[in-house]
Amino acid sequence: MSKSKQLGKLFGAQIKMMFREKQVWFWNLFFPIILMVLFMIIFGGGGSKEFKADIAVVKPSANATADMLEDHLRQVPVFKWKSDQPVSQEQADTWIKDKDVEAVIVLPATEDATAVKLIVNKENEKSATTQAISGILDQFIQQTNFSVAGVQPTFKLNMDSISNGNDDLSYVDFLMTGMIALSIAQGGLFGMVEMVEMRRKGLLRRLRLTPVKMGLYGVAGMLVRFVLAFVQICILSAIGIFGFGAHLHVDIPTLVIAFFVGALAFNALGYLFSSFSKTLEAYMGVANIASFLMMFLSGIFFPTNGFPDWLQPVSKVLPLTYFVNGMRDGMVYGNGIGTGEFWMGIGILGAWGAVAFLVAAMIYRNGKVEVR
Amino acid sequence: MRKTVEALSLFGYNVIVKSGLENKGEEFMSLLEARNLKKSFGTVKAVDGISFSVEAGEVFTIIGPNGAGKTTTLEMVEGLQPPDGGSISIAGLTWDKDAFAIKLMIGVQPQSGAMFDLLTVKENLELFASFYPKPKSTEEVLEMINLSDHRSKRVKSLSGGQRQRLAIGLAMISDPSIIFLDEPTTGLDPQARRNIWDIVLKLKELGKTTILTTHYMEEAEKLSDRVCIVDQGRIVTLDTPAALIERLTKEREVRLTFQDGEEAAKETERMAMGESTVVRTLREGSSLKLWSVQPEETLYGLFGFTKEQGYRVEQVSIREMSLEDVFIAFTGKEWRD
Repeated sequence: MSKSKQLGKLFGAQIKMMFREKQVWFWNLFFPIILMVLFMIIFGGGGSKEFKADIAVVKPSANATADMLEDHLRQVPVFKWKSDQPVSQEQADTWIKDKDVEAVIVLPATEDATAVKLIVNKENEKSATTQAISGILDQFIQQTNFSVAGVQPTFKLNMDSISNGNDDLSYVDFLMTGMIALSIAQGGLFGMVEMVEMRRKGLLRRLRLTPVKMGLYGVAGMLVRFVLAFVQICILSAIGIFGFGAHLHVDIPTLVIAFFVGALAFNALGYLFSSFSKTLEAYMGVANIASFLMMFLSGIFFPTNGFPDWLQPVSKVLPLTYFVNGMRDGMVYGNGIGTGEFWMGIGILGAWGAVAFLVAAMIYRNGKVEVR
Repeated sequence: MRKTVEALSLFGYNVIVKSGLENKGEEFMSLLEARNLKKSFGTVKAVDGISFSVEAGEVFTIIGPNGAGKTTTLEMVEGLQPPDGGSISIAGLTWDKDAFAIKLMIGVQPQSGAMFDLLTVKENLELFASFYPKPKSTEEVLEMINLSDHRSKRVKSLSGGQRQRLAIGLAMISDPSIIFLDEPTTGLDPQARRNIWDIVLKLKELGKTTILTTHYMEEAEKLSDRVCIVDQGRIVTLDTPAALIERLTKEREVRLTFQDGEEAAKETERMAMGESTVVRTLREGSSLKLWSVQPEETLYGLFGFTKEQGYRVEQVSIREMSLEDVFIAFTGKEWRD
């Protein structure tokens, strides 16, 4: 039988085996989908919902200043009043402690007093919501000041976010491409568990008894994983685009290069794990550690520039950082192939793959336990 | 040639007789020749100088207890493990030079019976068939291993016996001239075991050469043309099952139990040891076992002695011999399955 025909048979057999394995369905398809949907709902604002904050207002006594401020506060659309009317200080404290409201605004007690107090739960002191409330309140007070003083503000801040690619890049796009890169990487990191299983069952030795070339078997396995990765890209993109309004600006050459180099590199890493793991448990342990470390340190869910300074170099070493950047270049930034940064990343990714593969091949060749 | 004879002679004349080397001056090649194979794992000598040759068309059985070195020997011959010493030639080819050609000639059912669990019976056979240039037809193999009705079943859901038959099917999918079966019936129920025997006998009819390991004496006796008994990495003896039993039949076990207790047994043993027909004796309390090359002669003498002494013999028996006894006689060990 010719080489290509044999490769076809091996590919056919392996693709059947892959799709008959329930674990593959769960970990490579359902799990990334669930994870992506959860993150998008929690951090992506669940589509286009606006920011709202539950508040309570305390008015220690009725006075002209407090009444005026109360009237104005009612007109701020993002504040949702827990109770229509101002409540007592005790009631407000209870709500804050129980987190029934996110903030309590205490109006001035006398007509002459000018301070407005904002109370939040200590746990939420640094949360985004608190920051937003205090920002809004700050602006609100300033405007009130201006109007009391009868001044028209000269400068106004108009905020607009831009990215280096296109105007409509959103967190949803960022997260979706991150999840796609993560699931392809995991496909490689975990996919080679098959080698450990085949070794345990004696299948590797069984194949060595036949004239089949193990290299050919490996190539067929790689092709199968490319198919799986392609399916992952399609499904996750579809959910991102249709479910959460993600936008793609695809640059095919960039995407193809990043995809192939990345998929090969992570398969090589999985191959390396399989070379020194004697049991399934050992392999899964190593693959899990690698996957979890990279998941959070490589900017899958959040940009890495928010990390503390000492952590930044770590993310600059990890292969997933470069893979996810490459995939974003190809899928949402619509550039890459022309930039030095892209090729630098691909180079580092390729180096990871090459080193992992060579070390693994060496361990496989030298290790005698391997065959059992 | 001289070297071979020397090496073979280490393991008893029967080896030489069968290989037929000493009778012919010219080079004579068996289908498979293993010479003075050695393999150690750390300090353990798993195989310690095993030599045998297998002729085309025969069923050659290697039998021995667990850890005797059967599987290691087989794996060296199959090319899975390089021997520390010795040589292997299969149809004049060696693993160093002609690995690919040998792989086309042999079919192996390893002990683990490894196959693709997520594929069906038919898919497994077809996949393995794709590895070879001229495979047998899948249908024919399915028929032979009697799995035609289960062709669409996944390996996962097969019974132990069905699984083992498929493993043998995978070994013969390439239509090999030599088939290795490593403990094909271990752990199977009697019916499933008999099914496997049928397949082995069918293979023999087809003119295939089969090399089989087992720890069941009954199996070796039923299936093999020649039996090679190994223990502790060495060949204990090698011959046809009939000849092995025949050789031992000359030495039959005679058992006597005395009513008068130990003293009578002891005295009789002393007397028996003086008889020229008695090879050895073993006494346990008041019962005495002895091995005689002429049991009738021995018994005649013994009864003369006991009558004279006035000992009352409670029980007398002469045992039939089986391969199991051959093993015990040659290794001095109890047989354990």
